[in-house]
Order: sequence, then structure tokens, then C-alpha cells
Amino acid sequence: MITTLAFALVALTAALAVFGLVTTALGHPAGRAHTLAVGGVEALLVVQAVLAALRVLGGARPPETETFLIYLVVSVCVLPIGLQFAKADETRWGGTVVAVTAVATGVAVLRLLALWGGASG
Amino acid sequence: MAEGRETGKGVGRVLVAVYALFALSASARAGVQLATRYHEAPLAYLLSAFAGGVYILATVGLAGRQRWHRRLAWGAVLVEMTGVLVVGTLSVLTPADFPKATVWSGYGAGYGWVPLVLPIFGLLWLRRTGRDTPANSTRD
Repeated sequence: MITTLAFALVALTAALAVFGLVTTALGHPAGRAHTLAVGGVEALLVVQAVLAALRVLGGARPPETETFLIYLVVSVCVLPIGLQFAKADETRWGGTVVAVTAVATGVAVLRLLALWGGASG
Repeated sequence: MAEGRETGKGVGRVLVAVYALFALSASARAGVQLATRYHEAPLAYLLSAFAGGVYILATVGLAGRQRWHRRLAWGAVLVEMTGVLVVGTLSVLTPADFPKATVWSGYGAGYGWVPLVLPIFGLLWLRRTGRDTPANSTRD
């Protein structure tokens, strides 16, 4: 796992959460802007997940490897599902749904960082 | 036809999203713990699994549109509220019984107190969106 990328993703998911909350405050339903913003963050999450998975396949063993892999899957899956769920609603609250899933994703990345930090590999 | 407003629309959708995330995290966590180290703290891990089940039922109840969904949501959120208060209190009074944290330990402090706040919002939202309460839903 690349620490720099992980920290960047924590910052990006936080920014995405703020963006979602702002669109709710402005009264805009989830739309194209949300799709693009989530898409950008998601692309980096996928890169991180692939790199981390390759390291584990290559023999790296973070403590609680099962938990690590679950967080890895969660970090990739939550945002797209949340986006679909947000866009299925026409109200302003879609942005807040995106924000909630962005925070959860950020927490997952932080947990990944903490677990990986304990690994020698 | 469902009575009252749908619970999964508008701001209720945010509530459903948070419940779904807790359903996922509590269940996944309990699953790993029970599968890999059940003997370390069976009570705590079984409680986590129970909490995960309650969150799943609350998510389904809040997201659904039928009248039984609303009843399910009422039941699940009430159990959740009771659970977080009882487990939270026990974990503070007799920490030795809770060597490993559950979602509800310390009133959900490990999860940013969200487990304590969530059922309060859930109950308020259920009351606001519908006339169906446990008291009168049996009469309809």
C-alpha cells in the first residue's frame, strides 16, 4: 500500500463529503457533478486496492489480513452503491447520502493505513 | 398501501444509508471475529453479530414501503436503542465482562457515538413520517 496515496484518499473523501453537504445546503439533488466527483475518487480507490491486493498476493501479511482485505473491498464498493442510492432520490438529500458514504470510505482507508502501518512489508 | 410518508425518501434516505453502513460494518466485523477468534470473547462477538442483525432489520424496515416495513423498523430501532443503552451501561459498569469492544460498548464511543444517536433519529423519523406507532398499529 502506498501511504501517500492513502493519505490523499483520506483528504479526497473528506472533500467529497464537504461537496455533498454543500449541494444539500444549496438544494441541488445528486446529479452529474456527483457522478464525476465520485468517479474520480473511486478511480484512485481502485488503484489503491489493486496495488494493496498485489502486495498481499506477493506475500505481504498485514496484521489481521482478513480484516484488511474486507476493508479493501469495502473501500471500493461503498461509494458506487451510495451514488446509485443517492441518485435514485430526487431530493436535495442525495448529496448528504454521498457525503455519508464518503466519510465511511475515508474511515475504511484510515483503518487500512493503521493495519498496514503495523506490517513490516 | 403504506400508512404515513415513506421512510426511505428525502432525509430518510440518509438514515437508511447510515443504517446500511452499520449493518455492513457490524456484521462483517462480527463475522471475522466469530470465524477467527470466537474463544477470545464469545459474548462480545455474539453481541456484535446480534447488533449487525438488528441494523440489517432496521435498514430493511426503513427502506421498505409496506406497512410491515414500518412495524419492522419500529421494532428493530427500539431493540437497537435498548441494546446500546444496556450494553453501553454494562460495559461501563463491568468492563471485565467486555474484554473486546462491541459496536455498543461505551454507548458506541468507538464509532463516534453514532450508535447512540442513530436510534434517536430513527425513532424521531418513524414518529414524524407515520401515524403507525406500536401502540396503534395493532388496531388497524
